[in-house]
Amino acid sequence: MADWVNVGSAGEIADGELSSYSAGERQIAIANVDGTLYAFDDLCTHQQCSLAEGELEDTTVECPCHGSRFDIRTGQAVNGPASDPVDVFEVREQDAELQVLLDE
Amino acid sequence: MAPIVIVGGGLAGATAAGSLRDRGYEGDVVVIGEEPVPPYERPPLSKEYLRGESGHQLVRPAEWYRDNAVDARLGVRAERVHAAERAIELADGERVPFDQVVIATGARNRRIDLPGRDLPGVLDLRFAHDADAIREAAARGTKAVLVGMGFIGAEVAASLRHLGLDVTVVEFFSTPLERVLGPQLGGAIEALHRDHGVEMIFGDAAERFDGDGRFETLVTREGRRVEGDFAVVGVGVEPVTEVAAHGDVPVDGGIPVDATLRTSVDAVWAIGDVARHDHPVFGPIRVEHFDNALKMGDHVAANLLGANAAFDDPHWFWSDQYDAEIQMAGFATGWDQTVIRGSVEERAFTAFLLDGGRLLSVFSMNRKHDVRRSMPLIGMRHLDPAQLADAELDLRRLRPPKG
Repeated sequence: MADWVNVGSAGEIADGELSSYSAGERQIAIANVDGTLYAFDDLCTHQQCSLAEGELEDTTVECPCHGSRFDIRTGQAVNGPASDPVDVFEVREQDAELQVLLDE
Repeated sequence: MAPIVIVGGGLAGATAAGSLRDRGYEGDVVVIGEEPVPPYERPPLSKEYLRGESGHQLVRPAEWYRDNAVDARLGVRAERVHAAERAIELADGERVPFDQVVIATGARNRRIDLPGRDLPGVLDLRFAHDADAIREAAARGTKAVLVGMGFIGAEVAASLRHLGLDVTVVEFFSTPLERVLGPQLGGAIEALHRDHGVEMIFGDAAERFDGDGRFETLVTREGRRVEGDFAVVGVGVEPVTEVAAHGDVPVDGGIPVDATLRTSVDAVWAIGDVARHDHPVFGPIRVEHFDNALKMGDHVAANLLGANAAFDDPHWFWSDQYDAEIQMAGFATGWDQTVIRGSVEERAFTAFLLDGGRLLSVFSMNRKHDVRRSMPLIGMRHLDPAQLADAELDLRRLRPPKG
């Protein structure tokens, strides 16, 4: 059963910015690329650094620790030492809320 | 058509093979690797793997080669490249024909021919089995002696301290990593290790390894006697060029390649630690880091398929020691200005190395954003040192406008 979970406020991530949010047990990164939001697991699959502290370039994020790069639309590792993908989530702004769709 | 043959089963070679397939190449691909195991990543060998926290990290899963019709010939040594005849000669005399060949034979540890170097318990670190030997020695012993404090020596020191061993390092220069970082930044590495209980002897060098059937004491040139249960020697590497030199590919401090990773010989390319690359920003350099091997592997695949692009990555690597996150980008052998951002004393700083006003290299400790963000600045002139030093300023603002 998947549910929309409130993690923050609508409009709080500026274009080109990236933030980390707690959602239950998980830490989720949300990026704003030209007005479109993307949500993905905040922890790099290489050595669990926070991807939200990394560099956003177009629709990829680069891990600040060891340079692994992920496509934030699909979660695929495209470059660097990580080979496993990160999970991606649906994300939306509903009324005043920033929400991600999480499995229970 | 004859296959694309990759000589070398390390990160660069395996990445080249992987990238050829990822890019849709459907022709035959052969990887010839001397180690009898699928290509694996070496950075963990001095860190998590050495500490027993992680196992092998393969570049691609073991079954990937078969599943993608890549003929991985592992445990096989290539003897020489006959470029004129478009064939590789293997150690058993077999000849493997090629349409194009990529030499990715990497580097080996520099040997110091000192008395006692072959005693059991005198170890070094290059391969996974070397890390296994150090880990086993660490499990049995309580005191390690390290010769050399470059990045490998520093990381091994940190890992052995983590495992609870007493560690003494003998280093020829006056600080760790002095040749790469200079004395000021080398001093910051020294302070980090001193705080973690590493004993360091600078300005001295190994003279001989003593012991009764097994290593017991390192005797130095200055006459010091440093006792330990085992020794680890880390005094740099040299490129593995025999396959070229014994064939018909020129060798000069590595295998020289142009900006696009081609050698001067038709159909022969070289990548990774063995390649002496004519870098568009730094000139001819040979780089011994993970990220370079990865990026060159991908880049040569693109060029094999016709991209014909210069490789101009500014080079980047990391070195995790204790809880310190160290990163460095660029390349500098000499510089006349060091701009510090943050605090060296508090071990949260970035150092910009400039020569004649041109940014050549960036080093950081515990300021992990700075290096990545300043990589596009490397090679630039006319950067304002006051802006670089301003810890509040977002370095991305200093980038040249795109296009």
